[in-house]
Amino acid sequence: MHSDVPCEFPEGCDGSAILQRLDQVLDPELDESILDLGFVRSVELHAGHADIALRLPTSWCAVNFAYLMAEDVRHALLDVGDIREVTVRLGDHCAAAEIEAAVNAGQSFADAFPGEGAGSLAALRATFLRKGFLIRQQRLLRELRETGFAAAAICALRLAEVSVRDSVFVIQRSDHGPVTGGPAVILQRYLQRRAELGFDCSPTAALIIDLDGRPFAPERLQAHYEAARTMRIALEANGSFCRALMARASCDVAKTAANIKTGGRHVQA
Amino acid sequence: MYKHNGQEFFVIDGHMHFWDANPENWRNQYGESWIKCFYAYHNALSPAEAVWPFDKFCRYGEEALVDDLFRSGHVDMAILNSTYLHEFYKNGFNSHIQNNVAKSKYPDRFLLCGSFDPRDEEAGFEAFRRMMGEYPISGLKLYTAEWRNGSRGWRLNDPWAYKYLDLAQQSGIKNIHVHKGPTVYPLSADAFDVHDVDYAATDFPALNFIVEHVGLPRLDDFCWIAAQESNVYAGLSVAMAFVHLRPRYFGEIMANLLFWLGPDKLCFGSDYAIWSPKWLIEKFMAYDLPEDLKQEYHVDLTDDIRRKILGENTARLYGIDIAAQTAKLARDGLAANG
Repeated sequence: MHSDVPCEFPEGCDGSAILQRLDQVLDPELDESILDLGFVRSVELHAGHADIALRLPTSWCAVNFAYLMAEDVRHALLDVGDIREVTVRLGDHCAAAEIEAAVNAGQSFADAFPGEGAGSLAALRATFLRKGFLIRQQRLLRELRETGFAAAAICALRLAEVSVRDSVFVIQRSDHGPVTGGPAVILQRYLQRRAELGFDCSPTAALIIDLDGRPFAPERLQAHYEAARTMRIALEANGSFCRALMARASCDVAKTAANIKTGGRHVQA
Repeated sequence: MYKHNGQEFFVIDGHMHFWDANPENWRNQYGESWIKCFYAYHNALSPAEAVWPFDKFCRYGEEALVDDLFRSGHVDMAILNSTYLHEFYKNGFNSHIQNNVAKSKYPDRFLLCGSFDPRDEEAGFEAFRRMMGEYPISGLKLYTAEWRNGSRGWRLNDPWAYKYLDLAQQSGIKNIHVHKGPTVYPLSADAFDVHDVDYAATDFPALNFIVEHVGLPRLDDFCWIAAQESNVYAGLSVAMAFVHLRPRYFGEIMANLLFWLGPDKLCFGSDYAIWSPKWLIEKFMAYDLPEDLKQEYHVDLTDDIRRKILGENTARLYGIDIAAQTAKLARDGLAANG
């Protein structure tokens, strides 16, 4: 799946468990896997020591977010197989030295960066998990609306009435025939975050709930949808910048490599 | 006047710069980091043919400026958004004094923004009055994230900021451009928070607040505030740049702004020299909102709305009579067709 990340594993270790764990580490703001975003530059494992090099889109990516991702990488790998030590590296990031020293020693952000305002990373992480919940829900709502569900029908849906069938999700209500909703991943991502946030996931619970876990009255749904829609566009701004900056950076790297090649110098593959 | 589909569009570039980021002007490593960060945005989002070499980007000079805006860039008038950054640049990045070089040579083409820093407190009043008296200042550009003596920023609703806003109002200022946009290294992200605009806009109802870069990435916070406050406007620079590489995303931003603010509060800006108005305007004019967005948001981007965004809205804020101004500009020899 992520064959583009250069990996070095000991003989007999296929490394898939490591990549699966890395795939679960998200950029909190973009709510996407750091593997999908191309932030993982290389993965090496030698004698129980994992060495992960990250490559963020710019050297000035927010220090607290960079810290958070580096810390998540370390935690994600520390209990995989016989890994006893994890070293995360941040390349040319402006605070690489401080972040690496602290994260690799298991220090907290507040200890490493006293006075950097945002203090607790836990609060930051919680904020973005909740924003991500609303955005994943907004994508699901969009599919339900496009399928023709009115607000009252959406608000009445129970968890037991939605399920995944192959690559799509299906709505099956007792008094109606089954209706195909949209891509399965949209439902799955919503349900996953809903569970992570500890909301009621019993079969009779309402499918669409607010951030306090309460179902919506139908007349409240439209305003909620409009607000969540704008929040999604806002959060995608940095993703759009990141992708554009990453695309240009890799294009510049390719150009440099091409220049070196045409210069007739030896290039290490 | 930009011509498109047999119609004319008066263009005011509401956000541009005439900066000096030559290495000789860097005060420290931050001067270098700052312009390299700008350059990364320039390089990442511009069409390939519009990408400059880095040394030109540091200091492009007056000829390139006039050419890129008025001769080939479809712009009729432009607002010089003064930005000081004295802690990064020895002579400032583009202060009103630097910008006034262009303004005094082409007085009908430019509107000059001054500024204040409330952290100067009472000691800064005299300098502010002098700036207002000695320079042809039409509006203010405020930069709440600017560093000053160990402070990493300020807020529009700080008590001293209110005193300066009072002074500005007494001097006849109507329009306040506030930078609320993406983080630029090394500035602190918290200082770009939009909520202070809400307080200032309520407490100064006779002033207009143009939120530059629509608060990106805090577009949601900006929209809630601008939908409530009749004197809060959207400065579109930065958002505009997505029109080339991320057209779908650009459409989603525009649909949201049209939905929450309506077509009369959106003001074009290029953020030149980060991006050039020529390609921004051409691509904007060729851009149609995708059908599904039109239907979902019940908005459209018609030529009449484009005309408002490109010039009419800002002309209204600054009291510019477009017909009279067009006649005046036709005589200065800079117009593309003049």
